[in-house]
Amino acid sequence: MFRCVLTAAALVLFAGSTFVHAQKQTIGAPPEASNMKLVGANDLQARSAYQPTIHHQGDRWIAYIGHHGGTDDVPAPVNPMTGQAEPNGTSIVDVTDPAHPKYLRHLPGQEGKYESGGAQMVRVCDGKSLPKGDPNAVYMLRTFGSEAHEIWNVADPANPALITRIGGLKDTHKSWWECDTGIAYLVSGAPDWRTRRMTQIYDLSDPAHPQKIRDFGLPGQEPGSTGAVPTELHGPISTGPNGNRVYFGYGTNKGGILQIVDREKLLNGPKEPTPDNLRLPEISRLPMSAFNGAHTTFPMLDMPVAEFAEDKDGKTRDIVMIVDEAILNECGEARQMVWFADVTTETRPMMISSYTVPEASGQFCQRGGRFGSHSSNESMAPVYYKKMAFIAFFNAGVRALDIRDPYHPREVGYFIPAITQATDKRCIPVEGGERCKVAIQTNNVETDDRGYIYIVDRANTGLHILELTGPARAAAGLPKN
Amino acid sequence: MRRAATIALALAALGVSGVGAYQLAPQPAPTSAHWRELAWPFPRDGWPAGRAFRCEGGACDGAELYIRAKRGFCNCDSGVADDDEVDRVADIDLISPRFTATGPGEVVHVGEMRGRARRYDLAIYDGTSHAAVGVAVSRRCDLFVAAAQGRGDANAMQHAALALLETQEMKSWLVAALDGK
Repeated sequence: MFRCVLTAAALVLFAGSTFVHAQKQTIGAPPEASNMKLVGANDLQARSAYQPTIHHQGDRWIAYIGHHGGTDDVPAPVNPMTGQAEPNGTSIVDVTDPAHPKYLRHLPGQEGKYESGGAQMVRVCDGKSLPKGDPNAVYMLRTFGSEAHEIWNVADPANPALITRIGGLKDTHKSWWECDTGIAYLVSGAPDWRTRRMTQIYDLSDPAHPQKIRDFGLPGQEPGSTGAVPTELHGPISTGPNGNRVYFGYGTNKGGILQIVDREKLLNGPKEPTPDNLRLPEISRLPMSAFNGAHTTFPMLDMPVAEFAEDKDGKTRDIVMIVDEAILNECGEARQMVWFADVTTETRPMMISSYTVPEASGQFCQRGGRFGSHSSNESMAPVYYKKMAFIAFFNAGVRALDIRDPYHPREVGYFIPAITQATDKRCIPVEGGERCKVAIQTNNVETDDRGYIYIVDRANTGLHILELTGPARAAAGLPKN
Repeated sequence: MRRAATIALALAALGVSGVGAYQLAPQPAPTSAHWRELAWPFPRDGWPAGRAFRCEGGACDGAELYIRAKRGFCNCDSGVADDDEVDRVADIDLISPRFTATGPGEVVHVGEMRGRARRYDLAIYDGTSHAAVGVAVSRRCDLFVAAAQGRGDANAMQHAALALLETQEMKSWLVAALDGK
């Protein structure tokens, strides 16, 4: 009897270890997918990737992809198109044929490793949509490491031309640019502010002549203040003059805040950064748990909710999707995930639902690298807006959520790319050294008006272009493929 | 039974002297300072609780010291770059959100970690003010922070706090905490 128990226990242990082993990604293994499939890919010269922005210019579709700085092992990868070692910057890729993306140009960024270099952020506006832009130009706003924001004319995406530079900063990050007005909310580190990241608002309607409007942040961050310093900014998203709101997300993986701001008061109110002036445009704040930050605050206003269709009031709701950012490898922190806030009554915003990838579905805490959310798509094109959201979830790849009922978001698909020779290791400290593993680190995701989904990898695996299949495609209202 | 009682009494006596008591002077004397460990006094926040100590005797008598690791600090390359960073991360705000720096900070080291220390005036809820010291040092992407407060001299507090952090036991604990153990 005892022998039987021992044998059974051994079998269970063996099966368990095999299962765990099966979760480890290996080079040559196929991607893991459900209701999403790979259309095309590009290795992005094995550069660690942050923001992809997909722009329709003329009859072409161009992907602009921001990069983090290089790694300890490869601070400046060689660009095979020039033969030169170049600090990571911006990759420009023609994705008109998504099955065969064509790498056009690498535009070097600031020297430096990881978050200290590169050119992480990128937004693109047509000159013809900007009030004072050159109608023949296409403008790319990007960060230049931690020290500057730059605007380039990318009308010929293979040959960008520098237009202007806003420098002298101690940090930059996830900026927002209104293409119809030119107002830009630049995430910056003004040298005299007490926080690493705040907002510098510029009128970039004439990109060649930036006009500063004001600095903005939470009271306690401004120059000369004392006492506790509130959580630093991650990034804002504006609904423009029509919506008249800007949704600011503060925090990364701790102490998150959603701040709802009146855009008109922000742009035209008193600008001196005093505590009163900083408070004036604020409508409300939703403080999150100390366990979670707010990387992305994506507004989806006036959403019809089927469940409430027969109610006399509240049939539609204003929703903000908040995405936290995981920072530590191998689940070394509280879970970072996705939250939905109902902000219909703006002064009383309330969390209504959440979403995370079930850890046990892939043994993600053991795979290596970060597990948890990082960011969502930010395109408001009708193809997916208020219907589907795509969440970059690091080693769990990208997740497709049916959000038509934001009170009950539901995963309908996922895609975890295969690792390659280029995929970089992720390490954790162990007794007297480090233990490293190699895993996909899907960092950011964006969609285009055609419905293609673009995911990029922080661990140097490149760009994967995806499409929905099966029930996920039907949920988005797309025709069968 | 008597033997067990003796052992219990001995353990209790050791407990009174404090597992986390650290002699800063070679000979115990009424004026020597040592740090007695306390329970972590703050409510749960985004980082796991750290350790707390009270100074008994010497120039730091009555001061309290709070230390903990903060893993996942983003600025992996530049570390603790300036005094603003100390204001933000050193846990002074756990004691009171109302604090004012008394001047520029200075570079400090804890073991092999480099960072900065800064001194503050701290407004306490009862209307009194305390001196405080914030220390933040980094190891790659992780931070180790210390905050000390008391009615005494900030210089003496900082000196005594850094001396405690340089003891072998504290350095071992600190490395383990930064490793997530």
